[in-house]
Amino acid sequence: MSLRAMVASIRVGWYREFNWTNPLTGFSLRTVGPLASVIAASTVYYVGSTNNVPPSFEPSRLAYILIGAALYAHVAAYSWVPTLAIAEGKWTYVFPQVYMSPHSSLPYLIGRTLASFVTSTMTVIVSLVLSFYVLSSVFHTNIPFMVNPLSVSLLFLAMLVNILAALGLGLLLSAYALFATKFEWALPTYVAGLLMVFSEALFPVSFLPWPLSAIANVLPFTEFMRASRQAMIQGGTVYSYFSYLGLAVLGGIVVLALGFLAFRYAENRARRLGVIDKKTA
Amino acid sequence: MLDQRLNDARKVPEDQPGLRNVMNRVDAEITVQVDGLRREFDSKEGKIVALDGINLQVRKGEIFGVLGPNGAGKTTMIRILSTLLLPTAGKAGVMGFDVEKEPEKIRAVINMASGAERAGYDFISARGNLWFFSQLYGIPTEEAHRRINELSDMLGLQSYLDRKFYALSTGYKQRVTLVRAFINDPKVVFLDEPTIGLDVMTALSIREYILKQAKEYGRTIILATHNMAEVDAICNRVAIIDKGKILACDTPAALKRSLGAPSLILEVSPIPTPGSLEPIGKLEGVKGFTSSVDEERGLSRIQVVIDGDGSAQSVVDSIRKSGMTVVSNWRQQATLEEVFVALVGRGFREREHEAA
Amino acid sequence: MKLHSNPWLRTAYARLWVRAKSIYGEPLWVAVNIGFPFFTSFSLTMVYRAYGLNSFTGFAILGGVMISFWGNVLWSMASQFNWDKQVGLFEIYITSPAPISAILVGMSLGGILGTAPSAAMVAILGWLIFHPPINAIWPAVISVFALTLASLYAMGMALSSLYLAYGREADSVNEALHEPVSLISGVYFPSTGGFSPFPLAVQAGASLIPLTLGMDALRRTLFFGQGFGELYLDLELLALAIMGVILLFASSKALMFLENKGRRTGTIAVRQR
Ligand SMILES: Nc1ncnc2c1ncn2[C@@H]1O[C@H](COP(=O)(O)OP(=O)(O)O)[C@@H](O)[C@H]1O
Ligand SMILES: [Mg+2]
Repeated sequence: MSLRAMVASIRVGWYREFNWTNPLTGFSLRTVGPLASVIAASTVYYVGSTNNVPPSFEPSRLAYILIGAALYAHVAAYSWVPTLAIAEGKWTYVFPQVYMSPHSSLPYLIGRTLASFVTSTMTVIVSLVLSFYVLSSVFHTNIPFMVNPLSVSLLFLAMLVNILAALGLGLLLSAYALFATKFEWALPTYVAGLLMVFSEALFPVSFLPWPLSAIANVLPFTEFMRASRQAMIQGGTVYSYFSYLGLAVLGGIVVLALGFLAFRYAENRARRLGVIDKKTA
Repeated sequence: MLDQRLNDARKVPEDQPGLRNVMNRVDAEITVQVDGLRREFDSKEGKIVALDGINLQVRKGEIFGVLGPNGAGKTTMIRILSTLLLPTAGKAGVMGFDVEKEPEKIRAVINMASGAERAGYDFISARGNLWFFSQLYGIPTEEAHRRINELSDMLGLQSYLDRKFYALSTGYKQRVTLVRAFINDPKVVFLDEPTIGLDVMTALSIREYILKQAKEYGRTIILATHNMAEVDAICNRVAIIDKGKILACDTPAALKRSLGAPSLILEVSPIPTPGSLEPIGKLEGVKGFTSSVDEERGLSRIQVVIDGDGSAQSVVDSIRKSGMTVVSNWRQQATLEEVFVALVGRGFREREHEAA
Repeated sequence: MKLHSNPWLRTAYARLWVRAKSIYGEPLWVAVNIGFPFFTSFSLTMVYRAYGLNSFTGFAILGGVMISFWGNVLWSMASQFNWDKQVGLFEIYITSPAPISAILVGMSLGGILGTAPSAAMVAILGWLIFHPPINAIWPAVISVFALTLASLYAMGMALSSLYLAYGREADSVNEALHEPVSLISGVYFPSTGGFSPFPLAVQAGASLIPLTLGMDALRRTLFFGQGFGELYLDLELLALAIMGVILLFASSKALMFLENKGRRTGTIAVRQR
């Protein structure tokens, strides 16, 4: 796998992400989505809990949902980039070209994913900060975040580790897109929906009925959420952070391996079927 | 000494009787009228004049060719006549209605198709798409299906009508587009490069279809193309257009006849460097020339329009003088390409190169 | 004149047919389309249920239903003309005598019909799983629902003309609009009225979006047993109707204006060669 191809692809990805007449407008448009969804999920909790009799609002719950919604938006934003690159590339013929040059499809997809990781990290950090201020002032409450150099570094570390799983998921989806002639655009959205339910983004997965709860419990995305909350919310400990992170690494490696295998399989299959450059809507 | 073949001018049949529409009578109703039509576009590099004072009259039942290199202004003209674009100056009328003031009236009696588009809804069958398009004209469903079947029959599309649009090949998508273009029993049809990018057999069947539409149903067809063979095969008259101006307008046969002498074709090697052929254009008696490269044989083929046998020798001499070998040469009855060369001095290829 | 020979109706019906057919021709689309709205509303229902007021769970399910339509308005209505223009369909509309309003209305009805199965599935699944408490006056619910959809799709028509004018970044604008509008208009929670945590100014601004009024009215009729004759509900319905008419009118006008502008500037169709 060539590093140079990957670096070039990161640049293509950046170009694609910031293909804007005005970069600031572009960045803002990209940020309002995650910001709004974080505020929406938090408000659902606020409205529900404050109208409960007796009111059951807890600031730490709000922090829990806020972090979960933001990081969920992060994963959802970049894990579908390989699919995007393929599906869109089939239209513009970029992808068959990349594909023709040997051993460059994987670096290309990884490069595009990494480029998107960087931009979505920026948008998510901005939405986290903004929603923190908006919600604290609108709800008149102290959201018990823990913000110091260590906690922020730990959050970034967790995000980096989660690339394993997100890229793995991205490759799994793109494996489908590679030979699919329909639904390739829709599948990532569908899976993103599943991820919201199964990754402990908004509520503990133990609320799900068995065996769904058990499956959700071992997903690296779930461990990533848990580790991040340990890092960012008061009361978290470095010990539990690292135990969750360790599980996230293990699970991430498994998902990534699955992603690689699926992609290789799909690549061969697509070549056999001759659908790599087949355009469909 | 000139090659013997030089005098052995090949005779190309002037006309292909039976293929040509005979409705080109001067007393037929005028369906398209264009007076001093001008269209400018604003671009980053300043103003582009796409049409520079065009005058035309086309009659009922005519297939009227608009022939010119890419960028000549053909599409612009078609867009104005089909109410997609307003003129900057001048007048254009279709079936007696003004394109500027009465677009709705024109839209009811025309249709158009562009070879570059081939638009349709991917997940709907070809028949479904065609039915949909027919409804834009308010055609009752039964009547619509009758027309779809009839037109599809002519184009050999029948057995593909139930396929989803996306599953059709380029040629069949284009056939669907051409059925659509006649679905509303239009009086005037604008076709912009209808056979571009299609294989020869498909192009032939499409031309036959267009011819039939004009001949049997008396429709006026304006056909923009940069394919001379197409014009030769089906157009009653052709306007040769370059840089937004009409340079000549007549029947293909008359245009070719106007050149007088057969043109000179030379095959030379090695392939000339850019610019090295320029002196030919300046020779006495040379009206213009165009060249193309035959990569496979390592030759360049030069077509020179000359006004008589005398100039032929000086062309050959000039080429030899610049160090190239004339592999073969002969005289050939002029084609529409040479008509263009005679008018402009250079061929379509060079024209499109200049523009790029 | 017989109705079925009316060209306006023919065009509208044909456009509806094409839109609905694309979905019904591929039944799996229904399953695929439920995904995101269902899982989102499932998650938010869990949030209400686990940490809040159980009687609000219906809000999140209703939100999943309505977000399906909102998504359809954005992705299939708003950007449709822009897309049609890219593939050359728009110029076929323009050069035909078909009235653009018929195409807009047909597109909307087709979109509603095409989205209805997946939206209904979200409602049915949500009801089966969570049994949210419902206290409904059904004739009111149905009228409010119809009126809400009408004004929502009228908004889609207005957007479609906007996107046609500023086409280049339409997809990104769609992406950017989806969440904020569903936040402000209170798809999953009351963003206006007594339960809203938002400042009054925000509530007033939100009420300018038809979806906000529609969601509020739907919650009132579906979960709080309100019917016609409740002053506030009636006012909301009146406002919805007025907004719908204004949007419909404005978008037709805007499209006509754009057509003329496009003919002047040469931008009605994408340039090719
Ligand atoms: N919408 C437009 N905006 C700017 N320039 C245009 C536009 N349409 C055509 N042109 C320019 O007008 C000239 C004629 O174009 P066109 O009519 O498309 O030529 P043809 O169809 O003969 O190839 C070209 O120089 C082209 O670049
Ligand atoms: Mg053209």
